[in-house]
Amino acid sequence: MAVEEMSEAVSVRADFSGGVITPRAFRWNGRSYRVTAVNARWEDREGAHASYHLSVQAGGDTFFLSFSAGDMLWRLDRVILPG
Amino acid sequence: MDPCVVHVDMDAFFASVEQRLVPALRGRPVAVGSGCVASASYEARASGVRAGMPLGEARRLCPSLVVRPGSYGIYRCFAERVWELCREVAPAVETHLDDAYLDLAGTERLYGDPRGPVEALRVRVRGTTGLTVTAGIGPNRMIARLAGKTAKPDGLALVHPEQVEAFLIDRPAADVPGVGPKTAARLAGFGIRTVRDLRALSRAELARLFGRAGEALYDRARGQDTRPVSAREIPKTISRETTFHRETTDPAEIRGMLHYLVERAMKAVRALGLAARVVALRIRYADFKVDEGRTRPAMPTDLEGPVFDAALALLGRLHARRVALRLVGVTLSGFSGSGAEQTSLLEPTEDRRARLADALDELRGRFGFSAVTAGRSIDLLGRLRQDANGYVLRTPCLTK
Repeated sequence: MAVEEMSEAVSVRADFSGGVITPRAFRWNGRSYRVTAVNARWEDREGAHASYHLSVQAGGDTFFLSFSAGDMLWRLDRVILPG
Repeated sequence: MDPCVVHVDMDAFFASVEQRLVPALRGRPVAVGSGCVASASYEARASGVRAGMPLGEARRLCPSLVVRPGSYGIYRCFAERVWELCREVAPAVETHLDDAYLDLAGTERLYGDPRGPVEALRVRVRGTTGLTVTAGIGPNRMIARLAGKTAKPDGLALVHPEQVEAFLIDRPAADVPGVGPKTAARLAGFGIRTVRDLRALSRAELARLFGRAGEALYDRARGQDTRPVSAREIPKTISRETTFHRETTDPAEIRGMLHYLVERAMKAVRALGLAARVVALRIRYADFKVDEGRTRPAMPTDLEGPVFDAALALLGRLHARRVALRLVGVTLSGFSGSGAEQTSLLEPTEDRRARLADALDELRGRFGFSAVTAGRSIDLLGRLRQDANGYVLRTPCLTK
């Protein structure tokens, strides 16, 4: 299993409804990824602003995305390639 | 008002979170840890992998074991969500790293049978986080915890007050809170292996053997445990320790790490409104030899300065071999309320230091621990990665 940590700003298309954020697709390194499943969600309230974190599947790979309520940016925090 | 305590215990917590985060890990044996196993999934436990086991041994027992180093910030977020759900059920909740006690006394009219709301809580935890918890219900925290042990994983068990005697009498003496491995071994030396055997000793005999702890053992062997569920947990000790990313002899790195660990520990001490009387230091050399020592600052304190000075003096005494260090840790204990036992007014210097500490805590609370790097912790800049929550340590050890 290959794990890469990062903190890269990415563009994400997401639904915000029912108090829950659900990413549908994101763009990273010039490539578009369609989210096929949300594995887990968690909220981090340490610090001045909350951040909302998700582990999502796109194809066979797992991506950790986060949305910061402070700067209103989406980030890609981790990529996991099962191997 | 009948006492009713619930013990909620996350099942294989760290490993379960890792399996939630990464579907490819589900159903596979997973361990979390660096150096030794901090948490093992049930698939790994089937091969004999246990928490506390060195990773090398775990890999020998389970060659297909997947080892993850740990994402403690993420685990904290999951735990906080579970504790939030617990607070919706119970008037008082005492939380620990991966378990909590809920006091349901006074809710009989609201809930009736406590199994209903507790099972609903378990369902909500699973639905919200994907994690399973096991719950034990009993007339006190000891029985609640032991009840839960019989139902693990993903289970619920209830022991009524009238069932306590039958439930407890033939259990191992080691199940009684306060009987750790050394006490269990000592009792076994007297032929005492079960609670029934333990009851053969009088209160006076247990007190002679184990002091005040012996008197508590007498009561607990009879199913009595009057320790309250405390919404504000006051730990016996607050520890911070870590292994270095690489074994080191660099005095600046060792002092910097010691200062950082003291900062983290003292922040926790202040957050609980406590002052520490005892400072203990633990070091592990590259050859795995361990040295430990303890000392007392001049008076109980909630400030980094006196604690770091004490820890540094201990380090000078303990680190006497020309061998690199693998691990350093500081443990604080002997707590009192931070204002309770001051016998003198703070000197102006101490008052300024106290105000500075409060200001730093507030800044860090708002902007993350890394907002300010202070004192000898600066020596770690450039050596260790930082995130908003501080330096990313190899093996952060949290309060027990």
